[in-house]
Amino acid sequence: METESTPLLSLHCKSVSHWFGPKKVLHDINLRIERGQFVSLVGPSGCGKSTLLRAIVGTHLPRKGEILTYSTNPADAIKPVTGPGRDRGIVYQHYSLFPFLTAVENVALGLKLDETSIAFRTFRWGAWRKLRKEHLKQAAEFLDRVKLGDAIHQYPHEMSGGMRQRVAIAQALVMKPEIILLDEPFGALDEATREELQKALLLLYAENEAAKKEGQAPPYTLIIVTHELNEAIYVGDRLIGLSQYWDWKSEGHSEFPGASIVYDKSSPVFEPHDILEFEVFDEQRNALRDEVFNQDRCEPRVDYSI
Amino acid sequence: MIRRPIKPLTKILLGILSVVCLLIGYTWLSHRQHQENPNDTTIPNWSQLAKGVERAITWNERLEDRWLTDDTKATAIRLFSGLGIAVLGSCLLGIGMGCLAPIEAFFHPPLSFLAKVPATAVIAVFMALVGLGMEMYITMIVFGILPSMAISVFQAVKEFPEELQYKAYTLGASHMEVIWTIIFPYVLPKLIDALRLMIGPAMVYLIAAEMLFGDVGFGYRIRIQSKLLNMSVVYPYLVLLAGFGFTMDYLLKTLQRKISPWFDARH
Repeated sequence: METESTPLLSLHCKSVSHWFGPKKVLHDINLRIERGQFVSLVGPSGCGKSTLLRAIVGTHLPRKGEILTYSTNPADAIKPVTGPGRDRGIVYQHYSLFPFLTAVENVALGLKLDETSIAFRTFRWGAWRKLRKEHLKQAAEFLDRVKLGDAIHQYPHEMSGGMRQRVAIAQALVMKPEIILLDEPFGALDEATREELQKALLLLYAENEAAKKEGQAPPYTLIIVTHELNEAIYVGDRLIGLSQYWDWKSEGHSEFPGASIVYDKSSPVFEPHDILEFEVFDEQRNALRDEVFNQDRCEPRVDYSI
Repeated sequence: MIRRPIKPLTKILLGILSVVCLLIGYTWLSHRQHQENPNDTTIPNWSQLAKGVERAITWNERLEDRWLTDDTKATAIRLFSGLGIAVLGSCLLGIGMGCLAPIEAFFHPPLSFLAKVPATAVIAVFMALVGLGMEMYITMIVFGILPSMAISVFQAVKEFPEELQYKAYTLGASHMEVIWTIIFPYVLPKLIDALRLMIGPAMVYLIAAEMLFGDVGFGYRIRIQSKLLNMSVVYPYLVLLAGFGFTMDYLLKTLQRKISPWFDARH
């Protein structure tokens, strides 16, 4: 049994480094993410946020180091990331849905792929049809939760950008992954839609809190990569700043070894129904600008201090 | 004026008018020709055409044949066998090349080369390799359309966003499922588009082969009757070919809309 003092780990990056030819991108990233955390990952453009995220998804493995995922299922408790897998969900900014499937089919796809095989669907057609009804019902319930109950039979091209991202979130949620990764998920949306979706994520955070109160493991762990600092502070409960502007000289490197984590602090938690006032973010936003985005300030890295 | 749409009724009336103009023009041409030479068969008048059609659709006791059904049967079997093999082959090759780089490296160079060779020019080689039977016609069609169809399918697979592939894996897909459950439905409407474009060339290749080596079939009949200047048979055959092309195109378009309703509206 876990107690308050030893929270469950969800993900652990161990000395992750990456480079493209002579271009160094990530240097010795060490990061532990606890179950139930909503981590916002920010940093100047070109700092390697997306590279780190891709390494965690498993589509582009790091050149050095290891990423471990922790499962609640004791059978496969600790697994190294060797490729994309069903324990890590992803929401991309673009191409987030399968264009040939309706909203409900998009959400049900994960259930279909995860629970059945081609052979089952072909040769046990009757059983598959029964299960399929079950899946579609479950998917419709998830869409209802992201307030898309009326649009379940629409194709992605018939939906607005905000609706598509809602479906994409439901598509990831339905799998109940150990961790959900969001890569600039709301980058292409207008301000109002963006805020609505941020609130949808805060609702998930509220579910986490409720689960914790009842002594259960929080169901959602999330990493959101964003360039929008307000969004990072608003959605996340932990802020991580990755930056190429850090004090690598003091570690004895003669040339730039890659970006490192220079900022790792908790961030205030908001209720989804709170009225959003960006002024409350000012202080932390300025601190981020100063410590993560400022070329002239070289912070020491902080990733071992957790 | 420029690029401005017209009323639907005007559009329909203009369409009918163009057909009427064609018919009147033909009648006038034929009439003028018959004034010069009453026995002319190169531009048959309507009663001659009716006789030609009658000959094509009635059973001939002496020769024991009925041209239209014999020719349609022979040509249709050849065409659809060829198209079937070409669709199946191009689908396998195109998806194989799009998914697996070694298959691409192996097949793409010869296919892009073969796609540029007109099948009609290679007919003597087919004849030497597979003889004069059914195989020759099928080879002709497959050789003529498979390479470019396979390349179309290959390009459609290449356009498939890699994010969706990664996402499929995070949703628990196996490699086989990525191909069959994800990539195939994405490529299917483009395969149908490629097939629609290739119906015409397939007919060209088949008719050419039938004209050269056939003893039954549309190409054969048109060649023989042209030699005899029996245009009263040739013209109805041409109309049938055009009608067939139209119907196929319409059916494929309908099929595409039915099985990939997401595709059409997106463009």
